[in-house]
Amino acid sequence: MNKKTLATLVGSLLGAAVLASPAHAQNVKIGLLGGISGPIAAMAPSMLDASRLAIAQVNEQGGILNGGKLDVVVGDSACNPQNATDAATKAVNIDRVIATVGPHCSGAVLAAANSVTVPAGVLMVTPSGTSPEITKINDKDLVYRTVPSDDYQGRALARTLKARGIDKVAVAYLNNDYGKGLAESFKAEYEANGGTIAGYSGHEDGKASYRSDLAQLARGGADTLVIFDYGDGTGLTILRQALENNFFKTFIGADGMKSEAVIRSLGEQNLGGFFASAPVGEASASLDAFRAAFSAAGGNPDAIFTTTSYDAAFLVALAIEKAGGDKAKLAESLRAVASAPGEPIMAGEWAKAKQLIAEGKDIDYKGAAGDHEFDAAGDVPGNYAFFKVSGSTYEAIADMK
Amino acid sequence: MPLLDFLNFYLVPGIVLGSIYAVGAIGITLVFGILRFAHFAHGDMATLGAFIALALVAGGMDPWTALPVAMAATAVVAIGVDKAFYDYLKARPKIVTVMASLGVALMLRSVVQVVWGVDPRTYATGIVRPDSYFGILLRPRELYTLASVVLIVVGLALFLRHSKWGKAMRAMSDNPDLARLSGVDNRKVTMLTWAIVGALCAASGFMLGINTELHSMMGWQLLLPMFAAAIVGGVGRVEGAVLGGLVVGIAEELSIFILPAQYKAATAFALLLLILLVRPRGLLNGKVL
Repeated sequence: MNKKTLATLVGSLLGAAVLASPAHAQNVKIGLLGGISGPIAAMAPSMLDASRLAIAQVNEQGGILNGGKLDVVVGDSACNPQNATDAATKAVNIDRVIATVGPHCSGAVLAAANSVTVPAGVLMVTPSGTSPEITKINDKDLVYRTVPSDDYQGRALARTLKARGIDKVAVAYLNNDYGKGLAESFKAEYEANGGTIAGYSGHEDGKASYRSDLAQLARGGADTLVIFDYGDGTGLTILRQALENNFFKTFIGADGMKSEAVIRSLGEQNLGGFFASAPVGEASASLDAFRAAFSAAGGNPDAIFTTTSYDAAFLVALAIEKAGGDKAKLAESLRAVASAPGEPIMAGEWAKAKQLIAEGKDIDYKGAAGDHEFDAAGDVPGNYAFFKVSGSTYEAIADMK
Repeated sequence: MPLLDFLNFYLVPGIVLGSIYAVGAIGITLVFGILRFAHFAHGDMATLGAFIALALVAGGMDPWTALPVAMAATAVVAIGVDKAFYDYLKARPKIVTVMASLGVALMLRSVVQVVWGVDPRTYATGIVRPDSYFGILLRPRELYTLASVVLIVVGLALFLRHSKWGKAMRAMSDNPDLARLSGVDNRKVTMLTWAIVGALCAASGFMLGINTELHSMMGWQLLLPMFAAAIVGGVGRVEGAVLGGLVVGIAEELSIFILPAQYKAATAFALLLLILLVRPRGLLNGKVL
């Protein structure tokens, strides 16, 4: 018997031993991948806490499957493709997770999905990867999001600006999947509605000066600058330099710019002309339940993407329960628990959901962020609001149609 | 375009940015000239210096008073890093030290992230609108930045040219063995070099931070333009690093006229390639890489 056969034999014996172990409380591991460092670092902690809240509720209300616990492996996707691939590889290959919540940023989602989770057959639900490109991933039905695609947001923002009487804007976007996707949707809709784009340029992350970029954009004669970037990163530098040099009067950002770091660094008194759009949850009993639970756990339910982060984790847990822990059935189960028809389940109602699943009844999760009726690509439609700066945080001033 | 717009929004930002690159590039050039390796931890050491200054500012100090203190503190850190890591690898091939410096970079960045977190920070909240000097728009912090750079460069040039230790550093840069035979203590010169490099790192990080924001990746993102500046100017030449810094900074800001803005970051690369092709010794005849 040569060494190779011996190794195969030992391997299969070990495998058999694992398979033959009696059914007992078995923990299930899921990955929580987030942009802990990098340009959305200020947003990530609240998002991770919201996901952890869902997992804590699962573990408090009877655990997963046969009394097991839902274990979380946290990874730093750093909002960039390389780190996301590393973090996802570690979660999938070393920690052996069967599903991931996150990564957070679009570029990170695309890289991790294409190179790691989809080939490994691991379910991915991102709470904040908003690029239209994610819709196009050839994902074997394994990539979902609880946040609407930016295609909706870019178009809604374009219509809102037109409706507010802003007919001419310049657009500065971060040259990545997030910024570019938003900018393209925005531009298409804004021009279709008769608006004028008087300057349109991308920029790279992490430069110290964008004054020449801004001067170039301002030459088009627009008073309003639309910034598709992150308020914890380059977007802050651009906003500062545009304000200091009086290049523009009004500044519009999307969800990435709605960061409290912007207010902390630039001061409320300077941000009277700064507005941002962001996805919001529809008022619902489920949202109220989440808000109460998250506040009680010491979180801020108004922080961006907390509702979607919570829902992503809760949905993953429901899917695992429904699939009986079988990795191959996760995607199908996710659709089953998220879609109508079925007994409605609100945020936090794990014990009820667990019982219904055990009885073989169909359930329909009504999340804090919305209904989560996934379409064929795993996307959900969204609701947005338009925010202004108020004190040290943001205040919604209008719904966006 | 009116001349004033060109000066205010393209040339002046380029010069300010270039001066910051220059201060960083001087450090890189000193390490390369005297210790003969490419120091990848340079950017993150600059980040650390900037955050040390932030800690002092948070303690109630004026930012520009905090600068010299942060420079001194970072100098001590630089000597410590050398003693703990690079000195230990001295006898091994230089590529080992280069790789070690990459590891040091990650360690320094992690320290910054652990201590100060990963959110962007500023020395002062709010915005500063510029004052007009005959139409040229400048903020006080930009004037101070330019003045500090001039002070640092002139001081360093005088030190290297006229003081005993400066001469020893130059001797070691020319030929370490010969310098040792002539009675130069290589160990002390190495320490002195690290002290100067650490102080320069802190200065460049601080000036970048006060002109934009501080965040844990700021230094790492500066590394490429700083290396490009050192090489463009001529490795091992302090004046070369200054010239190179200004060339790279101004070229980045002016590249907007001929290239889409996305390619701004590539300008440093393009310049680097061009110089290596047509004049590998750099503008001011440095050492050949």
